[in-house]
Amino acid sequence: MSLKQAAAAAQAAGNNRKPPGGGGGPGLPSAAGGGRQNMGRGRSSGKGPPQPTISFDGIYANMRMVHILTSVVGSKCEVQVKNGGIYEGVFKTYSPKCDLVLDAAHRKTAESSLGPKREDILESILFKPSDFVMVHFKDMDTNYARRVPSETDAFTDSAISAKVNGEHKEKDLEPWDGGETTATEELEALETDVSNGWDPNDMFRYNEENYGVVSTYDSSLSSYTVPLERDNSEEFLKREARATQLAEEIESSAQYKARVALENDERTEEEKYTAVQRNANEREGHGVNTRENKYIPPGQRNRDVLSWGSGRQNAPRMGQSGSGPPISRSGSHASEFSPNSGADQRVVNGGVPWPSPCPSPSSRPPSRYQSGPNSLPPRAATPTRPPSRPPSRPSRPPSHPSAHGSPAPVSTMPKRMSSEGPPRMSPKAQRHPRGHRVSTGRGTISSGLEFVSHNAPGEASTTAVARGSPSGGTWSSVVSGVPRLSPKTHRPRSPRQSSTPTGPALPSPQPGTIPTESVAMPVPAASPTPASPASNRAVTPSSEAKDTRLQDQRQNSATGNKENIKPSETSPSFPKPENKGVSPIVSEHRKQIDDLKKFKNDFRLQSSSSSDAVDQLLNKTREGEKSRDVVKEKTESTPKESIIETGSNTNSNGGSSKPNSPSISPSISNSSEQKRGPEVTSQGVQTSGPGSKQDKEDKEEKKDTSEQVRKSTLNPNAKEFNPRSFAQPKPSTTPTSPRPQAQPSPSMVGHQQPTPVYTQPVCFAPNMMYPVPVSPGVQPLYPIPMTPMPVNQAKTYRAGKVPNMPQQRQDQHHQSTMMHPASAAGPPIVATPPAYSTQYVAYSPQQFPNQPLVQHVPHYQSQHPHVYSPVIQGNARMMAPPTHAQPGLVSSSATQYGAHEQTHAMYACPKIPYSKETGPSFYFAISTGSLAQQYAHPNATLHPHPPHPQPSATPTGQQQSQHAGSHPAPSPVQHHQHQAAQALHLANPQQQSAIYHAGLAPTPPSMTPGSNTQSPQNSFPTAQQTVFTIHPSHVQPAYTNPPHMAHVPQAHVQSGMVPSHPTAHAPMMLMTTQPPGGPQAAIAQSALQPIPVSTTTHFPYMTHPSVQAHHQQQL
Amino acid sequence: MAAPGEYFSVGSQVSCRTCQEQRLQGEVVAFDYPSKMLALKCPSSSGKPNHADILLVNLQYVSEVEIINDRTETPPPLASLNVSKLANKARTEKEEKMSQAYAISAGVSLEGQQLFQTIHKTIKDCKWQEKNIVVMEEVVIAPPYQVENCKGKEGSALSHVRKIVEKHFRDVESQKVMQRSQAQQTQKETSLSS
Repeated sequence: MSLKQAAAAAQAAGNNRKPPGGGGGPGLPSAAGGGRQNMGRGRSSGKGPPQPTISFDGIYANMRMVHILTSVVGSKCEVQVKNGGIYEGVFKTYSPKCDLVLDAAHRKTAESSLGPKREDILESILFKPSDFVMVHFKDMDTNYARRVPSETDAFTDSAISAKVNGEHKEKDLEPWDGGETTATEELEALETDVSNGWDPNDMFRYNEENYGVVSTYDSSLSSYTVPLERDNSEEFLKREARATQLAEEIESSAQYKARVALENDERTEEEKYTAVQRNANEREGHGVNTRENKYIPPGQRNRDVLSWGSGRQNAPRMGQSGSGPPISRSGSHASEFSPNSGADQRVVNGGVPWPSPCPSPSSRPPSRYQSGPNSLPPRAATPTRPPSRPPSRPSRPPSHPSAHGSPAPVSTMPKRMSSEGPPRMSPKAQRHPRGHRVSTGRGTISSGLEFVSHNAPGEASTTAVARGSPSGGTWSSVVSGVPRLSPKTHRPRSPRQSSTPTGPALPSPQPGTIPTESVAMPVPAASPTPASPASNRAVTPSSEAKDTRLQDQRQNSATGNKENIKPSETSPSFPKPENKGVSPIVSEHRKQIDDLKKFKNDFRLQSSSSSDAVDQLLNKTREGEKSRDVVKEKTESTPKESIIETGSNTNSNGGSSKPNSPSISPSISNSSEQKRGPEVTSQGVQTSGPGSKQDKEDKEEKKDTSEQVRKSTLNPNAKEFNPRSFAQPKPSTTPTSPRPQAQPSPSMVGHQQPTPVYTQPVCFAPNMMYPVPVSPGVQPLYPIPMTPMPVNQAKTYRAGKVPNMPQQRQDQHHQSTMMHPASAAGPPIVATPPAYSTQYVAYSPQQFPNQPLVQHVPHYQSQHPHVYSPVIQGNARMMAPPTHAQPGLVSSSATQYGAHEQTHAMYACPKIPYSKETGPSFYFAISTGSLAQQYAHPNATLHPHPPHPQPSATPTGQQQSQHAGSHPAPSPVQHHQHQAAQALHLANPQQQSAIYHAGLAPTPPSMTPGSNTQSPQNSFPTAQQTVFTIHPSHVQPAYTNPPHMAHVPQAHVQSGMVPSHPTAHAPMMLMTTQPPGGPQAAIAQSALQPIPVSTTTHFPYMTHPSVQAHHQQQL
Repeated sequence: MAAPGEYFSVGSQVSCRTCQEQRLQGEVVAFDYPSKMLALKCPSSSGKPNHADILLVNLQYVSEVEIINDRTETPPPLASLNVSKLANKARTEKEEKMSQAYAISAGVSLEGQQLFQTIHKTIKDCKWQEKNIVVMEEVVIAPPYQVENCKGKEGSALSHVRKIVEKHFRDVESQKVMQRSQAQQTQKETSLSS
């Protein structure tokens, strides 16, 4: 289950996860992973039969010696000592050293034939092993002490013949021949004789006839009692009434009833005292975690997931998932956060984050944008990126298409698709995405979830459900109508994106390869993308798409703003998505729709809120920083390649962002998010875009909660986030974060970004800073849920991550591994891991080649997005206490944040570790992230809360932003995961985000696949297929590793599995996330988008795709 | 063959000679290398079927250890033991011995002791009172422990005890006869052989 779910989550969550992965990615993963690990440990410890700690020494360790000596206890024996003396006594006991104790022992002497005298007997004698030569037990019945296990043993031939009244000679047994007919008849007669022995009258008659005995039996029992003489006398009536009254009193007494109940209780002892109570309700609470932890057959998982989703957040999530992350988010958020308008907003924000998965990217982008403008450097890289991207696009777009394309064309397709996709397109368009989106957008549904949502919804799924509202409409349509489609598309896209990034190396590769350079790019992109995606998503998809297109690379900020504006548009679209979602899933869809509507409202608020715009601006600035980073990265790594990669990344990001946006739009404010996503993606490409998107997302979230909060949080968060991203990036970067990010960028990036965020602080303070801005925006949202905690955690994480990065990574790895198994639950897991590994490998090179730092940056960014997305998800789930718990579990060290972050980190770590280890690692991380997300999902509830808090916290701010971004992706993931892991994601915003990021990054590919799969399930075969196809291709290209491909497919499959059920969506998400490895791209979509923003376009794509995917899935 | 690290595999026949120049042979039941303890199972010295003598040999004081034949098949699984049953046996055995020792210390004749053992097999409720055997608190058997020595309230108990005593001496007598006959046979055989 866990693995599969993780995988599904990865894919599905991929989008979502990526965002988380990006921002909180590391934290979330770690948290999730930690949660899972803990769970696993708990289980293992719990399940594992308590191993007898008693260690036997000496002859006690010799089983046969113990047996033979014990069997002669109580027997008379003669002990011959060294000097020849013989002592006789009753063998009492023996020690481990073979000291023998004889009771009533005496020394045998020749004269004492008669026996020992009383005074010759010693109470007991202890013989040292060194004192006796031999002990002679005479005439021992070896079977004396033999315990007869059962009656059957007492009636074996040997047992019967062995002992017969003390006659110790073999007894000849004769076979019994009861006759053939009579025997059976008689036996049957006995069997069928119901009478309980003799009838009394028969006995009386028999005795009378044979013995002449006449019974004196009197049935009236006159000898013992007297008959009641009834009369009508007043006295009698009075007494009778009295008796009746007393009887009633007695019978009406609770005590009497209780005692009667005991007698009449038909329940068995087993049922009453032994059986394990299994209540569906209980499961809902813990079910997710438990179930996820438990291995559940893939099929069942899906069911479970579905059920979960439906059970818990399913309806909401489902709707969200169906529609996209937004729905789920909205649903979850709404459900969880809904209580509080702020919460809602947060939710929205969070929801945005969900969208963020798509949004996350967007959110990040916004943040980046904001920061970007401010810190354009990194994202400014965007500027540079743009150039690079342009090149990259040209060169990579193709690859991307192919990568994204997997769904459609690999990278370009997705990206373009996404770019084309109104919303998606925008994100991608903005950076790479634009082109990608545009190209891919259509092509794709595949391209990004975002695209999908936009395009896919409109075009691909076309479900068009929603095209209705232009961007929003499309998104909504995608989301709602296509929710699944969009998800599918998203997923596909995400996968594509992820794949594109990683596979083709276009997006992810770029991030990854360029990683170092691109990494920076990625990071920026990631963060930007996240933001941008988020923002884009948040914003109207179409608007985003437009924005993306218009701004394509740098306009991100503008787009971000536009996106922000769009969000409002998107918000409208949301409803549509919901509607769409409803149509697909019907009831679930309806729920989702409702959720979506809520999200829409929220999104509107967000989008409408200037905060989004601000966030976007921030994101833009961030993006600018990211772009700078990217540039740096590019410069570090081959500029062109990096650029290309970045471009691809951006594209991927865009794609992801798009996906995210789609997903977002579908789900909560999927439309808005999607829109944002697009923007984000576009921004993501430019970084600023992402940042802006993220900001937007954050803003959205904040808007939900409060714009002010967003802003405030943005700054704090931005810083914090940056640190995280940096910190994580470092770890990750060192390994292969770059590539992973780049390639994984979709997913990985997201994850790494989260980590990067942590690590990045060191490496890329600027980025971090940028992220922070985003985070602030996010934070507001998060803060609302759990701001304080998040902040702390974020800080802790950062600090911890940077230093602890390795550990976290390890943790993450573990978690990831854990996650994998769990998520894999089925084949997916297994497959995914390899894929990841392979992917990682592929990526790693790139990443390494490029620049670890860059990679880190991407990671951070991506993580941030993830974080955001997680946060968002977290918000959704945050609602649930579990998240907190998880955080606690996960981080335990850090506050909630820490927990979240840790979880994220954990996830991220896995990713990061992987990435660090090799490109593949990223994927793993991503995949793990996805897994983590999946895990997280189960835990998601916990995570969500923490995440949100984290996000809320300044540090987390980034994370939040990331989360937001990631949320978009996460949201998808959540949606997917929602059912399963969303809770986790949510729980560990950062972690989730990380997870998301990771997942997203990975997911992107997977996500898209997942979305596709989901969509297929939804009844969007084409979308799924496209996605799948894209994934493979994307994955391969990006990852160049077949395994990745396999993963992606698996992820897809998983996602597909998940999709089938509403809840399944969540699984799907997970699946996607896992696939993420390859899918990471997909994941990246969601998460990546966030990440993409930071990383570059890839993330945006990733995020967007993922988001979209998520949204779709959710829908 | 013995598994690596083991010198004796369960089920194999081993012979050895103790430091008291006593020849031992039996089937390996268990062997503990650290303590150099070897558990052997030998045919019952009394010839009872289903019974066996268990020897715990300290190999530190044994020489000429030979493995007559090795058993490769895996030994049968160990049956679980009824520890409480063993504990009860140990307690009763001890009580019997103490009781017997009491009688011996009181100067009871061998016949008396043998009779006591015989009665004790059938009736647990019997004890020594000085040199008298008290059965069920009703029947007292005084030396020389013949049937006519059984005193007590007339009843089933007394008659039952008398039956036991009567049978006991009859069995003892028959055993003596048998031993005598056996001895005679051996003498004849020896004479014939000689």
